[in-house]
Amino acid sequence: MSPAPNRLLRAAVAAPVFDFWSRQFGSIQAWDRCLARVVARREEARGAVTLTLQPNRRFAGFTPGQHLNLTAEVEGVRLTRSYSFTQPPRTDGRLRLTIKRVENGRLSNALCELRPGAVVELGEAYGEMSLPQGPGRYLFLAAGSGITPLMALSLALEQNPQAEATLVYWAQRRDELCFAEELRELAARQPRLRLHFALTREPLRLAGEFGRRIDTALLDEVAPDLPALQVFACGPRGFVEDARRLTQERALRFHGEAFTPPEAVAGGAPVRVQLLRSGQTLEVPAGAPLLAALEAQGLRPASGCRMGLCNTCACRLVEGVGQNLNNGETVAEPGSELRICISAARSDLTLDL
Amino acid sequence: MSQATLNRPLSHAEMDAFGTELDALRARTMAQVGAEDARYIRRIVAAVRYTEAAGRALLFFGAFPPAWVLGTLLLGLSKILENMELGHNVMHGQYDWMRDPHLNGKTYEWDIVGTSDNWRHTHNYKHHTYTNVRGMDDDIGYGLLRLFPEQRWRPFYLFQPLIAVIFALLFQWGVAIQRLELGKVFSGRKTKAQLREEFRPVGRKMGWQLLKDYVLFPLLAGPFFLPVLLGNLVANGMRNLWTYAVIFCGHFTADAETFPKSVVLNESRGHWYLRQLRGSSNLSGGKLLHIMTGNLSHQIEHHLYPDMPARRYAQVAPEVRAICERYGQNYNTGSMWSQFGQVVWRILRHALPSRPGKTAALVAPAAEAA
Repeated sequence: MSPAPNRLLRAAVAAPVFDFWSRQFGSIQAWDRCLARVVARREEARGAVTLTLQPNRRFAGFTPGQHLNLTAEVEGVRLTRSYSFTQPPRTDGRLRLTIKRVENGRLSNALCELRPGAVVELGEAYGEMSLPQGPGRYLFLAAGSGITPLMALSLALEQNPQAEATLVYWAQRRDELCFAEELRELAARQPRLRLHFALTREPLRLAGEFGRRIDTALLDEVAPDLPALQVFACGPRGFVEDARRLTQERALRFHGEAFTPPEAVAGGAPVRVQLLRSGQTLEVPAGAPLLAALEAQGLRPASGCRMGLCNTCACRLVEGVGQNLNNGETVAEPGSELRICISAARSDLTLDL
Repeated sequence: MSQATLNRPLSHAEMDAFGTELDALRARTMAQVGAEDARYIRRIVAAVRYTEAAGRALLFFGAFPPAWVLGTLLLGLSKILENMELGHNVMHGQYDWMRDPHLNGKTYEWDIVGTSDNWRHTHNYKHHTYTNVRGMDDDIGYGLLRLFPEQRWRPFYLFQPLIAVIFALLFQWGVAIQRLELGKVFSGRKTKAQLREEFRPVGRKMGWQLLKDYVLFPLLAGPFFLPVLLGNLVANGMRNLWTYAVIFCGHFTADAETFPKSVVLNESRGHWYLRQLRGSSNLSGGKLLHIMTGNLSHQIEHHLYPDMPARRYAQVAPEVRAICERYGQNYNTGSMWSQFGQVVWRILRHALPSRPGKTAALVAPAAEAA
C-alpha cells in the first residue's frame, strides 16, 4: 500500500478494531501482531503432535535450530511457551512445530488438541543454536523433546554440503520417537548424517539401537573423533548437564539448550531485576515489595494507591517468577501484569518497565 | 431517616473483621474468574463492534428518518457499552489476567474525547483511592457543582441547576479536561506553559475524536454528510447524558457521604472498605440495566473490588449486603428514578446555602479514645 493511504488508514483504524474485523472475516492478518493458522496436524509419536502453521505477513523468519514464543488461549487465558521449529524455512512460508504432551503442561496439552483452522500467536524467533554455512562437523545429542531443534538442524544439512553430523536421539520407548521414519529416510539418502536411536526403557532393542543413557563408552562408539566435533545437546536439564560433563572438555565446542522451568528462591535472597524500558538491571531482595525496593535505589516508577488497587504501577512480567504479596500467589506466566506495589520478585525477573 | 441512624460506627476490631470478611469474599470470587468471564468480555467487544458498524452503516442512509433514528440509537448504544462495560472496566485491569494486549488495563484507549491515561490517573487512582474525600477526590462536583453542604457555598452555585444540565450534555469534555485542573491555572497555581504541555495529548485525542465523528464518517457518506454528522452528535450526547446520570447516582445520592482528608491517615483495609461503602450507592434493576451501566449499578461492589470483572458484582452483591447488615451498615440502593431524583435534589438544594447534617462517624468514639 502506498504511504499516504496507509497513513490515513493507520490514523482511522485502531489496532483492536482492525484485528476484530479481520478475525470476523476469517483472516489472520493483524495490525501489528503475528498470528498463524494451523493448516495441518499429525500425530508424530506417542504423546507428540506436529503442527504446520501458516503465519501472517508479520512473521520475520528464522534459522534452523531457533525457537519462538507461541501464545494461545487456554480457558480464556493466554499462555506463552517456547517451541522449536522442526524444519528449516520452507518455500511456502509455512512453519512446522512439534509439541510434546507434558504432565500438567497446560499449553502443550492444549496445542496437541488443536485442529486445522485454529489460530495462535507467534513471537519472534530466537536462539543461538545454528548451523553456519561452510565446513563443520557436528555431534547432535537429543533427548525427548530436545529432538525438535536438532531435527531442523539435521534437515538443514541438506542445504549445507560442507557440514556433516552424527545424531544420537534418546527416548524412553520406540513409539515415543518423533520423526523416526523421516530421519531414517534422511540418513539413507544423505550420507553426511549418521543416525543412532537410544531407547532407555524398551525391552526389545533392534539392530543399531542403543539401550542406555549417555556415557563415555557410547560417545566413543558414535564419535571417536570427538575433539574435532562441535557438540549440540538439547533435552531435559539433567541430560544436558550429563552431555556437558562428558563432552565439554574434549570436544571442539559445546552448546547445550535445556528446558528449565523458572524456580522460586527463598525470601531475602538477592535477585536481579532487569527493567527493559529503562535499560537498567538492579539487585533487590526476593520477597520484598518491588515498588519500594526500586524506589530505595532511586527509581521512580509510576505508582498510585500503593495498595494493589488502582493498577497505576502494573507492568508486564517478561520472564521470571513474581509473587502477589496480598494473596501469596506465585506469578510465573510470561505476559502477566504485576502490580509492583504489592508484588515481589521470587527469582531473577525481567519487567517491561 | 437521618444519616446518623443509618450506620453504626465500628470499633477498630469490628472494622478489621469487616475487612477480613470482604477480603475473603473477594478471594473466593476471584478464584472462580476464568473462561466464562473471558467469553463474556469477548461478547461485549463483539456487541460494541457490531452495534457501531450497524449504527454507522444505517446513518449513511440517514436521509431516511427511520434509518437515522435507528442508526443513531445503535451508535449511542455502542458508545455507552464501549465506554462503560468495556473501556471503564478493562482500564481497571479487570481483565489483565487474560493477558490479551487488546484488553490490557494500562494500554486500552477508549472512544471518548478524554485520554485513557488521564482517566487512569483521575479515576483509577484519585477517585478510587480517595473516594469522596473532600479535596482529594475531584469527582465531588467536578470542581463545578456544590453537591454536599460541606463544600463552601459561593454565589456562583446559584447557577448550578443550569450548569449541571450543560455539564451533563458535555460530560465527555468534562472528563477530558478534569486532569488539567483549570482552576489551578486561574488561581495561579499552575503556569500556562505547564498547561500547554499537559494539553498536548488531550488536544490530540480531542482532535482525533472530532475528526472521526464529525469529518471522516460524514465525508464517507458523501451527500448525506449532514445526517451522519448530526447522528454522531446525538449519539455522543446520548452517551454523555447516560454516563453522567449513572456516575452521579453512584456517589451523590441522599445518603452518600463525603469525608475530610484526615480519614486517609494510616487507614486500615477495613476502614478503607467502610469508607468506600459509605460513599457509594447502587442502582437496583435487571440484567439489562447492569450491562448498560457497565455494572456501575453495583457501584458499592465496584468500589470494594475495582479490579474484579464487573460481571461478578451481581454475584457478590447479596453477600456484600449481608455483611453490611451484620455490621450495622446501610447498603445504599434504589431504583434509578429514586436515586437520580436524590441527585437532582442535591443539585437544586445545595445551589443555595446549606449546613451539614449529622452523619454517623466511621470509627466508634470509644474505640478511638482507647
